[in-house]
Amino acid sequence: MRRITFLLLLFCFAALTSMGGGYQVGLHSTRNTGMGLIGTSLTYDASSIFYNPGGVSFIKDKWSLSGGVSLIMARVTFQGKDENYQTHLEHQLNTPFYVYASYKATDNLSIGLAVNTPYGNGLSWGDNWQGRFLIQNLKFQAITVQPTISYKFKNIIGVGVGLVWAYGSVNLNKALPLDYTGGEGQLNIKGNTIGFGFNAGVLIHPVKGFNIGIDYRSKINMDVQNANATFTVPAAVRPQFPDSKVEVSLPLPANLDFGLSYEINEKFMIGINLCYVFWKQYDSLVFNFKTKTASLGRTATAALYQNRLIPRIGFQYKVNPTVTVRLGGYYDPSPVPSDYLNPQTPSTNEIGLTAGLSVFPFKGFSIDAAFLYLMGMKRDGTYSPENFAGTYYSAFYIPAIGLSYSF
Amino acid sequence: MKKLLFIILSLALFTSCERKISEYAADKGTANFSTYISIGNSLVAGYADGALYHDGQLYSCPNLIAGQLQLAGGGAFIQPMVTSNYGVAVYPGVQTKLVLGYTADCQGVVGLSPVRSVGDMEIFGNVGYAVNNFGIPGAKSFHLITPGYAQMNPYYTRFATSMTGAVVEEFGKVHPTFFTMQLGDNDVLAYALAGGSYDSITQPATFYYAMKIVLGSLLATGASGVMANIPDITSIPFFTTIPYNGLVLTRQTLADSVNYAMSLYQLPFHYVVGPNPFLVRDPASPHPYFKVRQMQPGEYVLMTVPQDSLKCKGMGIINVVTHAPYPIPDQFVLTTAEVAQIKFATDVFNNIIDTMAANHHVGLVDMNSKLKILNSQSGVVWDGIHLNAKFVTGGAFSLDGIHLTPRGNALSANYFIEAINQHFGSKIPYVDVTKYKGVVFP
Repeated sequence: MRRITFLLLLFCFAALTSMGGGYQVGLHSTRNTGMGLIGTSLTYDASSIFYNPGGVSFIKDKWSLSGGVSLIMARVTFQGKDENYQTHLEHQLNTPFYVYASYKATDNLSIGLAVNTPYGNGLSWGDNWQGRFLIQNLKFQAITVQPTISYKFKNIIGVGVGLVWAYGSVNLNKALPLDYTGGEGQLNIKGNTIGFGFNAGVLIHPVKGFNIGIDYRSKINMDVQNANATFTVPAAVRPQFPDSKVEVSLPLPANLDFGLSYEINEKFMIGINLCYVFWKQYDSLVFNFKTKTASLGRTATAALYQNRLIPRIGFQYKVNPTVTVRLGGYYDPSPVPSDYLNPQTPSTNEIGLTAGLSVFPFKGFSIDAAFLYLMGMKRDGTYSPENFAGTYYSAFYIPAIGLSYSF
Repeated sequence: MKKLLFIILSLALFTSCERKISEYAADKGTANFSTYISIGNSLVAGYADGALYHDGQLYSCPNLIAGQLQLAGGGAFIQPMVTSNYGVAVYPGVQTKLVLGYTADCQGVVGLSPVRSVGDMEIFGNVGYAVNNFGIPGAKSFHLITPGYAQMNPYYTRFATSMTGAVVEEFGKVHPTFFTMQLGDNDVLAYALAGGSYDSITQPATFYYAMKIVLGSLLATGASGVMANIPDITSIPFFTTIPYNGLVLTRQTLADSVNYAMSLYQLPFHYVVGPNPFLVRDPASPHPYFKVRQMQPGEYVLMTVPQDSLKCKGMGIINVVTHAPYPIPDQFVLTTAEVAQIKFATDVFNNIIDTMAANHHVGLVDMNSKLKILNSQSGVVWDGIHLNAKFVTGGAFSLDGIHLTPRGNALSANYFIEAINQHFGSKIPYVDVTKYKGVVFP
């Protein structure tokens, strides 16, 4: 019975896509997902490599390993403005993941490696929807690998830095208003690239149970030099739209995180986090076609994102040595101005509510589960350069599962 | 019990999947759309690509409006449908619609251009049913009050209920509650299409009198509605596609020999490499042998000018056989004086339409301003489609350069809907422009 309900749930949400303000993904530890995605001041496991390299040296165990995956199920409804039109985002699968390993080389020095997916966006509105001349479907993902070193002084201050190597891939389709008998034009852009950045953090541990964390993750430029642009157009206009190499640039914005956490007693912990995202770095999406014609050249699609502050709060309660439960919440304001709201990234202000659970079958090993419900606020917006207006209303259901092992 | 709970639970899960936005609620405001009729000319009839054809009618501006009005109590909208998709045109000559095709020009260069489609033409004959769309290709304002107009215009013959009556007498028979009117364009356009060399601009007094009777007969039925004013012809690609200085000389030796030839005829025109003005006839020309001059900015060459003559026979410069100056014939050119007359008449007619609309509480669709915007550098952007008034590439005008594509009609229908909503406080949703095609390429 229970299994069937679970299957039904999966079916209902069978399709998963990206979440959240812009194209940043906050799901980097199932444990942290359970408590409002806080993490900057925590040192419980190797996820600190991502959340705050300064905290890695505070991890108690010699080895800490953790890995997990989230299933993002997006439900987004669009209604055209002044038009009798409604549609839903097509259901598809997006699965951000993480794998971390940290090693305590000496009492004060630790090293670690993180592999995760901090940025991404995947959505499909369908081939024939009203906004198809802006976007039909899009899959963009950045996988980062971050070797990290962390050192702590006198058990009070830890500093750490990691080099971030990012592999990004993009695949997008949009329709072109060039009609032929039985169809219309089509553009596919597909490519990948690598980029570099860094992640540096400080963790301060002034008194027992109390942690302060500050972390800065730099911007990473994803500059796809040689993406392939493939056009499907009527033969008569083919010379204007030759298949071409195209340069696509997308910045992955920097983040500045500040976190506090306090262990009130052996069982209860409370933490808050302030995350400042430098979204302003995403000013426009640039496509530079290498084969130039009168119709093809360099186009900059204005994005004009704004910097945003995300406040988060989380709680953890150790019920007994084998069960830990978590709760959390946060507010993620959309970085997208209302006159630049693009169906490529239908971003709205969101409230996230989270719950999590860890079960320790034996000491050091835990099975972690979390559920994040992200409630989008209904939002009217126009993408003015294309005069595409409408109302977006979204909800995200994100179950996450992970394993952690420390010894 | 357990099973029931299970079903309820799963239903609840499914319904909670999608986020609900309340659907667009259309509202008729103070208007009554139950019987809608449209009055006017070819722009109303669904004429496109130089002919009246089946799909052109399906995507006629009033038919698209009617589809939206049906969301707020509008009834069926009957058009005098042509069955053939090759359609029929009676001018110039009886022929089929235009399509984009590949043809070799006089120089043997194969290129893309509008060509007549090959297929069975529609045979004219009365459709035998009452219609809501009174769009009559070629109709001028006063034609609608002319008794026996069905005997003069074969398009009207197709749906006239009387061969001797006037069009205005038909309106009452269908008991309309609502109308849209787009009439008066041909009162200047017919003259402009003829290059100002035949046909004539309607006298303002006649125009006023005719429009007053047409509008009066509509209002007498108890219907309310909106009417459109007349676009400036210089917003239309038929007049703007070929520039006045479209004569391009590619080599200096060519320019030199043209200059030499002109000097022999004592014509003081100077030709350079690059664009040069075409030659036109001018009776007032001071030159002794040839009454010609070069075209000036603000003058227009019509799209119907014989392209082969321009390209290969020296039209607009020097006849390749006789080596005499070869002006473009009058009927393919609008001179400064003709343009001034057309602009003046357009202003006068639009004043009449604006005043009449205001006085009779009829909504106004400012098509003149709308087409000026369409013809501007930025054009019109709608749901990611960029439209402008350029021929073929602009997407709004069909292959005759005068009438609209389905996509252009959708835009035009939205201008009507905008005016209807404004005037009647109604909430009629816009036509989804992305559903309709622009120019179809091979």
